[in-house]
Amino acid sequence: MKNNHKFWIVVGILAFFHFGLHLGLGLGSNAPDLLAVALLISIRELDIGAGSCLGFLFGIMEDAFSVLAFGANAFAFTVIGIIGSKTRNLFVGDSLGFMAVYLFLGKWCKDFLHWIVAGESLRGSFIDVMLVGSSLAAVYAASVGLIVIVVSGIGWDTVR
Amino acid sequence: MPNYTNDTKAVPSKRSLIIALVFLIFSILILNLPTGIQQQIGVIIRGSVLRPFVITQESIVRRRIHIKSTEDLQKQLDSISSVLSSQNNLAEENDRLRKILNLSEKFLPTYVAASVVRPGIQGSEGMFLLDVGRDQGVVYNSPVIMGQGLVGVVKESRNNNSLGMDWTHPEFRVSAMTLDGTVYGIVQASQEVFKESYRLLIDGIPFYQELGPGTILVTSSLGGVYPRGIPIGTVIEQAESRAGWRRSYWLRPFVSPGEAMHVLVLASREKFEYINDIWFQENLITSENDSVKGSQIQNPKSKQAGDQGS
Repeated sequence: MKNNHKFWIVVGILAFFHFGLHLGLGLGSNAPDLLAVALLISIRELDIGAGSCLGFLFGIMEDAFSVLAFGANAFAFTVIGIIGSKTRNLFVGDSLGFMAVYLFLGKWCKDFLHWIVAGESLRGSFIDVMLVGSSLAAVYAASVGLIVIVVSGIGWDTVR
Repeated sequence: MPNYTNDTKAVPSKRSLIIALVFLIFSILILNLPTGIQQQIGVIIRGSVLRPFVITQESIVRRRIHIKSTEDLQKQLDSISSVLSSQNNLAEENDRLRKILNLSEKFLPTYVAASVVRPGIQGSEGMFLLDVGRDQGVVYNSPVIMGQGLVGVVKESRNNNSLGMDWTHPEFRVSAMTLDGTVYGIVQASQEVFKESYRLLIDGIPFYQELGPGTILVTSSLGGVYPRGIPIGTVIEQAESRAGWRRSYWLRPFVSPGEAMHVLVLASREKFEYINDIWFQENLITSENDSVKGSQIQNPKSKQAGDQGS
């Protein structure tokens, strides 16, 4: 990690804006999932232990308002934190196209894990929730994530 | 050609792997913790890290309520005043009749006004925060209503705030009946074609009982959570019928939870703890009137006091 302060500032700003938009302004699904974006970008720079720790912290904060599926986000974020930090070793791609696919799949997989562990009574149908809802949310998150990567240079070696 | 070097990042250290494993185990443990402990963790996070965001939305909601057109509020005030003035005579008549019959004063529930805050984050769909809690008399299972009808129910109550579940939540259920109390069923939310669109479904209606479109359904008070008579919705059409067994109907709800900013919460539930006293008092009066002194049902408290006195 070349610029430690800048990295954590960007992650902090994304987390702040996530809760600011979703919770502070009450925008709900109209705002992108910046927490997933922050995690997916940061784990390109962090090792597996720090990635899982950050994922766990993000997930448990997201779970604070969930009464009947408490822990589902913590589990989904932690798993993504672990798997995502391994992608740096498995995929050496560094193009914007690669990053777009990485962000899309990361967000979609996080939602899929949440959908699985949330429990049968709480989750909607796979087609509605995952194929339609989560795919659109993943496109939204990936688009915002690409802007963040290009502007900040975090998680993308080529621009630095 | 650059020399080959080992990427130290490529092979995670043993320590990192152990940390990752520990957090994975933590996340699985949290998922399976008892509900009470999960709620405690949620309360700590909501009251610390996320508190500034909750306060921000609370203040925004309050401002929205204040911005609401004065004209609309005046209309609502006028209609409430007209309803109240027409009921003054009824109230007086009711009091007089109660006195004649030696009945005690009717035990009415009290409501507290609250502002609704929507978390808007994944996993919190169908949940809302209220800026009133135990200090204001709001407890677990306190019903939440708006002017037009039922919004939901309180699931967690703290000193000055509480967490509620609206009728769009998959776990929400309420016992309902027609206005005349002849048909009963269980109402629950049901998603429409699109994820964000919800309607209500009343199930468990006996096959021989039919409901026409436009029939109004209200809470029946069966189960003891919701007081009788809170409007829920109107029948749209029949959803399903199993020959000779039961029917279900789609309902158009009176309240859209998304529009709820300012609600009322039933806050007098604790007073119902003393309902036994009221029950026994009324029985005593009836027994005295009937002059059946030998078989009086006594209030356990007064009986105990009597025993001590003797």
